[in-house]
Amino acid sequence: MSETSTKPTVGEDILGRVEEMQRGLDGSYRDEIVEAIYQDAEAISRKVVRTEESTSYPWDQKLDRIVTSKIWGLPFMALLLGVVFWVTISGANVPSSMLAEGLFWLGARGVEFFDWLGMPWWVTGFIWHGVYRGLAWVIAVMLPPMAIFFPIFTILEDLGYLPRVAFNVDALFKKAGAHGKQALTMSMGLGCNAAGVVACRVIDSPRERLIAILTNNFMPCNGRWPTLIILATLFVAAAFPPAFAAMAAAGSLVLIVLIGAATTLLVSAVLSRSFLRGEASSFTLELPPYRRPSILRVLYTSLIDRTIFVLWRAVVMAVPAGGVIWLLSNIHAGGQSLTVWVSQWLEPVGRAIGLDGVILLAYIIAIPANEIVVPTIIMAYTGAGMMIELDTMAELQHLLVNQQGWTLLTAVCLMLFSLLHNPCSTTMWTVYRETRSVKWTVVSGLMPLAIAFLLLFIVAQTAYWIMGLAGM
Amino acid sequence: MTGIIVLIVVGALFVPQYGLFWRIRRRRWLQSRQAVEDALAHLHQFQHDGRPASVETLSNTLGTSTKHTLDLVNRMAQLDLVAVTGQGMRLTAAGHRWALQIVRAHRLFERYLADETSVPREEIHARAHRLEHTVTEAQVDKMDADMGHPAFDPQGDPIPNAAGDMKEIESQKLVDWPAGVPALIVHIEDEPPEVYAQIIAEDLHPGMVITIVDMSPVRVVIGTPDAEHVLAPVVAANVSVREAPTEGVEPAGVPLTTLEHGEAGRVVGLAPACQGLTRRRFQDLGLTPGARVERVMQSAFSDPTAYRVRNTMIALRREQSDLIRIERAPRKEQEIDT
Repeated sequence: MSETSTKPTVGEDILGRVEEMQRGLDGSYRDEIVEAIYQDAEAISRKVVRTEESTSYPWDQKLDRIVTSKIWGLPFMALLLGVVFWVTISGANVPSSMLAEGLFWLGARGVEFFDWLGMPWWVTGFIWHGVYRGLAWVIAVMLPPMAIFFPIFTILEDLGYLPRVAFNVDALFKKAGAHGKQALTMSMGLGCNAAGVVACRVIDSPRERLIAILTNNFMPCNGRWPTLIILATLFVAAAFPPAFAAMAAAGSLVLIVLIGAATTLLVSAVLSRSFLRGEASSFTLELPPYRRPSILRVLYTSLIDRTIFVLWRAVVMAVPAGGVIWLLSNIHAGGQSLTVWVSQWLEPVGRAIGLDGVILLAYIIAIPANEIVVPTIIMAYTGAGMMIELDTMAELQHLLVNQQGWTLLTAVCLMLFSLLHNPCSTTMWTVYRETRSVKWTVVSGLMPLAIAFLLLFIVAQTAYWIMGLAGM
Repeated sequence: MTGIIVLIVVGALFVPQYGLFWRIRRRRWLQSRQAVEDALAHLHQFQHDGRPASVETLSNTLGTSTKHTLDLVNRMAQLDLVAVTGQGMRLTAAGHRWALQIVRAHRLFERYLADETSVPREEIHARAHRLEHTVTEAQVDKMDADMGHPAFDPQGDPIPNAAGDMKEIESQKLVDWPAGVPALIVHIEDEPPEVYAQIIAEDLHPGMVITIVDMSPVRVVIGTPDAEHVLAPVVAANVSVREAPTEGVEPAGVPLTTLEHGEAGRVVGLAPACQGLTRRRFQDLGLTPGARVERVMQSAFSDPTAYRVRNTMIALRREQSDLIRIERAPRKEQEIDT
């Protein structure tokens, strides 16, 4: 400023006068500028843009009338969700088992190779039975459903359907003091919670964004589907004829997602009336016209941006987890492995909430990657010391129900626990990166865990009490 | 035994006010830029209001002991920011210049937070207070230029320019205003926060036109076009008003929410209560006077409602669409448009 006062140049002089004039204006001059810009734009577009008489409205409007209808809007949404799950589950079945077979075959060759080299057994075990099998399992279980789910999701996004979902359910979020766009971040969370947390950037208001981030975990992600699907198949679909098994499994998944959505709304409402109190901020949601999805873009976004990205992070997390499982099962103290020690120690806690020690241990090991929960449980039960594959569902059922005494209560509690428990470490790391706050990261981990324990305790104790009354 | 020693050590470190930890923290704070700047801002405020500032008022505002405040004042005198005279403390020319810079940074930050972010109104003051100590003069100049040299902060306080000049406006306290005469809110005092929170709760903004409906020693009832608000006189005293201009403040027309399904209208304007990011967002969407709006869809729970604005479909919640004033298009025009 001192230079200006000594000898202003022409440019500085003009800028100075501009500043003076700007300060002389009253607050509404911004409005006037915006209005003037729009008037100019309108005048230009009227001159150069010609609109065909028959625009694409009628078709759009007809579709909108169905998908946002007061009667059909919500059922259509649930149905679509069910179809997406059904396509994903039934489509992923075959590739998953083929991948597992191929990768486990490769693992067996690896073991042979190491034996031929004359490696000590613990090197072979740690590398091939620990780390490699963890890796193989994660890829086999995760890749096919993601490679199906994410493209479908991206097509719905590209079509313009997702903003309609937000439009349909916004009133519920408004009641919960949250933002309607949270519905978008939730749908994203069905693919991967870390991706869902990143998607929360679309919410402008910091308070509502934080609510969306903290509750995203209540949408079961891809990594948790396998657990839910196996349980749904063993305990729900088993009651249906084989032809309808996939549909029944999809149906129970929809139910689980609905329970997750209800929990999300409930927790959001509690948060916005306690720790994150505040007014609902402004909500404007654009409902773009329906577009034909561009196939190349869909493939790129869903496969490169989402599938590979998520898979890579899961792989990075699963490698150490596979190692830990192997170490726990192969280090013996006092005649039994660490796995047995830890699960015995966790047994009373597990029983109190309808589960058992082994399941809790599996969840602790699976903090880096939820998809290894089931293989870890099987491993601990069979005492195999490594992840194994059970060939058929019948074998699995035999192991869980006949040998380990799982009941319908165990299945229900495990499904609820899988839905509500803490997010995986990747998601928590993402929460930290998005919020830059250790406090909220810790909350995002402990809050769901506390809710899960509380709810399961109530469910299990009530069930025990009823069973006691019935004399079972 | 060890327990007692640990207890004593912890006590010596962390007893509130006297513990070593707190002493060191306070000393460091007092040596910081923030302490000096907060003191400057306080002295400037008092000088501006024509009130005498003293070590007592200063230590009250800063929340420090008299002894520490004296240290601070001495240090500021050494830096030639403050002159202690018979009438109390006065800012020197250098002190005054610096103080204006802080006021400028604070009010620019408030303007920025109100216009460009969705930080709640009650948090804006505290956030600006933290940020004002983190910027250089050059950064403040740049911010001022980028924002188009705003003349007032969101509460209606004038923002000084780089030379320190401010646009003062004439105003009266709301409690001194005659009943029944329309008044334009020009300023809302944001301190103390408890009082400010009550004004926010009534959703009063500078730029709104109000009328006093009823005034008694215990309550002031004021009317706006949409509602009536009740304030305690001590709260109303923090609102300053002047005579309302005869036209152009409150857009005429009816709220957008009154539009029936399938009906169309034209935007007349945005309500004065629509400020900051919401106003900016509406303008970005093209909700400017003259724009055609048509109600097209309603969600399953009756809220939000989708409107077609400039050939784009936009969903708005009821609270938002209440802020948009429209004029119903006559039947004939609707037929021509669609």
